[in-house]
Amino acid sequence: MKESPAGATRHVIVIGSGVAGTAAGVAAATIAPSVIVLAGGTGASSLATGAIDHAFWQDHHPAAHGNALSERAKAVLNALGGYAVPATGCTVVTLGGLVRRADGRDASLLDVARLNGDGVAVVECNRPGWNASELAFSWGKGYRALEAGLLRHTDESLLPDVDLAARHDDASRLGWLAERLREALARTEARWGGIVLPPILGLERACADALSERVGLPCGEAVGSPGGPAGLRFERARDRALSSAGVVKVAGRASTVEAHGETWRVIAEDGQVLDAYAVVVATGGLIGGGMEYAPSEAILATALPSHVSPPIRLTLKAPLMLGARGRPLDTPGSLFGFAPESLARPFSRDALVETVGALAQTPDAGVPVGGSPPGLFAAGDIVADTPRTWLGALAQGAQAGTSAAHVALSRAETASGAKAAPVSAIPL
Amino acid sequence: MLNTPVVPTEPAVSLAPPPVAMRRAEGAKEGNPEDRVDVAILGGGINGTGVARDFALRGLKVALFERNDLAFGASGNSSGMIHGGVRYLSQSPRVTETSCRDSGYIQHIAPHLLFRIPFLMPLRDGAKARIALELVDAYFRAYDDYQPLKRGEPHCRLDASDLAQLEPGLVGGLVGGVTFDEWGVDGVRLCVHNAVDAIEHGSRVFVHTTVEAIARAPSPDDPYRYVVSGRDRLRGHAEEVRARVVVNATGAWSPITAALGGLPQARVRVRPGKGIHVVLDRRITNYGILSEAIDGRQVFLEPWQNVSVLGTTDDDYYGDLDDVRATSEEVRYLVQGVARTLPGVRLARAIGTYAGVRPTLYEYGRNEDALSRDHRVVDHGADGAPGLYSMIGGKLASYRLFAQELCDHVAPSDLGNNVACSTHTRALPGGERMPDAGELGSRFAITPVAARRLVYRHGERALRVLERTARCANERDTVCPCEPVLEAEVRYVLREELARTVADVARRTRLGLGACGGMRCAARCGQIVAAELDLAPSAARAMALEFLDQQARSRVVALGPEQARQEALLAAHVRSSLGDAS
Repeated sequence: MKESPAGATRHVIVIGSGVAGTAAGVAAATIAPSVIVLAGGTGASSLATGAIDHAFWQDHHPAAHGNALSERAKAVLNALGGYAVPATGCTVVTLGGLVRRADGRDASLLDVARLNGDGVAVVECNRPGWNASELAFSWGKGYRALEAGLLRHTDESLLPDVDLAARHDDASRLGWLAERLREALARTEARWGGIVLPPILGLERACADALSERVGLPCGEAVGSPGGPAGLRFERARDRALSSAGVVKVAGRASTVEAHGETWRVIAEDGQVLDAYAVVVATGGLIGGGMEYAPSEAILATALPSHVSPPIRLTLKAPLMLGARGRPLDTPGSLFGFAPESLARPFSRDALVETVGALAQTPDAGVPVGGSPPGLFAAGDIVADTPRTWLGALAQGAQAGTSAAHVALSRAETASGAKAAPVSAIPL
Repeated sequence: MLNTPVVPTEPAVSLAPPPVAMRRAEGAKEGNPEDRVDVAILGGGINGTGVARDFALRGLKVALFERNDLAFGASGNSSGMIHGGVRYLSQSPRVTETSCRDSGYIQHIAPHLLFRIPFLMPLRDGAKARIALELVDAYFRAYDDYQPLKRGEPHCRLDASDLAQLEPGLVGGLVGGVTFDEWGVDGVRLCVHNAVDAIEHGSRVFVHTTVEAIARAPSPDDPYRYVVSGRDRLRGHAEEVRARVVVNATGAWSPITAALGGLPQARVRVRPGKGIHVVLDRRITNYGILSEAIDGRQVFLEPWQNVSVLGTTDDDYYGDLDDVRATSEEVRYLVQGVARTLPGVRLARAIGTYAGVRPTLYEYGRNEDALSRDHRVVDHGADGAPGLYSMIGGKLASYRLFAQELCDHVAPSDLGNNVACSTHTRALPGGERMPDAGELGSRFAITPVAARRLVYRHGERALRVLERTARCANERDTVCPCEPVLEAEVRYVLREELARTVADVARRTRLGLGACGGMRCAARCGQIVAAELDLAPSAARAMALEFLDQQARSRVVALGPEQARQEALLAAHVRSSLGDAS
């Protein structure tokens, strides 16, 4: 085990680099100078489709759109760039054939609520899952297929969305695309309000606005499947935001978070040891791998398991209490674990796997705080009883990062007395 | 001459009211001649479609009614083995022999649907293990006599080191074992091919159409003695045919069907035996592996197409036949049983389960496994309903023989037709010739895997599917990347194979049954179904959601750590792009 050099206690260590971890890191760095994000891969955030919400969108009350973002959450969103969260929300179209409301969107997604004109053009494009006339039919009145050759090379009809999106990072290729769209528009009589394309508009950053400007009409993507360009655009935006906020991103997966005297110690799987006055755990839920479903029977080849255990566990060792609906998670009365029917959709509407997480000790704050010493926070999908949504994670992360930074600063002051403030973050 | 087990025509003792089938259908319209058929068949499982094809090939006019979809029940949810019934060798060797013989015929008429499954039967070391091995060896020596009937290799006796070499994942402490040879088939495809062939020989097939009444024709002299009325369950319209003969081939539903004709249910009583299977995401062995469950029953792991299947249970079933699902308890029982021999099965990812109900011949007071797997034709002439027959029992492997037995009896006696059976010599649609998948792939610019899977499902008719892509390049798109399934095939099964919902397409093509659980294909498939059948976009989404929901219910009961992550992702995706109905 590599011990950190003496005096290298950071203000804040954020474990996890998804939406919640990024928000925590960026928010903490505006207050405390020494912030590290321990990044072990991005889970659910990379798989997001670009339509972003506070609550599951079907549960929305129409009046609940927008304005729910705190100032510090807005600041994080600005630092990320590439997202639009208008106060009135927006409307996007999905490859599932739906026109739906969203609180916000990745900037490459087309907001069809803000279009004027006689109709929305759905660009024809010979790519898997994209059938312009059927999508137009499914999205309803006003949507019509528009013939346009978007594909420049023969491989592009089979290329994954993310790879084709990457080609449009190139300004001249984007110009070529704009040219094709302008030609297509010129061939029709209609006065179009906007153009919907497959999710292929940029990987480094959303290039829908640049395209719209060149075409002279709002252009944007439809919402695709998990694993598309919107998720990767988040990763790029995150790296830029962390870097300009002065947050150090360290590659590694945390295995343990534990109290170490008056500070917190984070031990990574590769043996790195990091100390800090405050820690934000943002390792995600089941998708991201912060928690896992671990029924006792998984080890049951021939013998009985040695003990009963709760069916969900944290993947890192940390003094966080798992629970759901405000109560700690208990062991089942069976060596085999709970019947999965009671754990998961669709048998149970608020299934355990959808609600379980670290229990908040101060529920009002929406961010659980660990015991002694103070300074342990959690944010994002790992938190119990909050909907696993993009904006929810952002808001929680921003709040956890802010609180963690304040706790860290005051404790660093107490700890050091006359001593110097913590060193600035240094890469390990 | 076949040993036709038509039940003696003793009148059943019944205190029930006079059979509805005896009543005249009052006010029934004369109907148009199109609606007059020689035989009305109820049930679109392997027995119903098999018998429809047999009658049709004899030149008779057939109408078939299926309440759900073709192969919806036991036929589409079996282990898919057209095995020789080695299990029944000591109990009823006749079942073994007929199974083996007919397994050979199926291989001949549908060569594309076949895949070989060599099995290992390992024996644990312990007291009397050597003697057990001798006995098993002798037992399979007896089975070897039947193997040539179905192109099977004779068994081999193996010692412990042979076993370890063939399947290193087997548990230690084995004394030895034997191999035996079986064949697998896609039961759904087999039903669909039979139905399509019947249609191509002049039959009409109504799917999603439940029969609401079987009544006597208004005129007693009418040779079309029965009026069968059905209702389309998806669209609500009525369908009616007049038939000279009615065949009840509704499997576990048989007593329900018989009640529609006012027949005594005791005559067609079955003992519904639920069997479940657990599907793993890939092939994890080269051999099928037999193992012993906690109660001593035989269970197995079977490499099946591109997945592995664990099977099976056999429990009395009292639930809704239209909604048969595996429970987590059944899954645990099976996994425990197989893991005893192949511990690694616990590490594999279970991507689903399926369940069906066997229409086993009724008997009270016996253990499920001890029940006969034989089949029987019930002539309801004895119940005052001449020309009405029920098919009870049976197995996938001997469906063709069962159909032949019924037709050989009914065609001459009730319909004056003496044409000989030809279902064992004439290929099923697509089975005439096996096209070269590699050549098809390069000719139509699709991946070799997609071509190979297509040829597996459609045989020579893969060509008809692919010709669609030549007319419309968009149809070359992969709708379901797991399997993979091309858009052309989805449209083909909607137009040519009677599919009407996303679940129907899945049944025929295995779309959405792979590792992603339909996440990547259900919505798109719904759009195609809606486009082909002229449905509203909302119907397409509802259909896709219903399919995803049904599939989730079948998966969650086998939930493991990896699959739990996939479920969470799928839920997030559905919320994001399809809307969440639940």
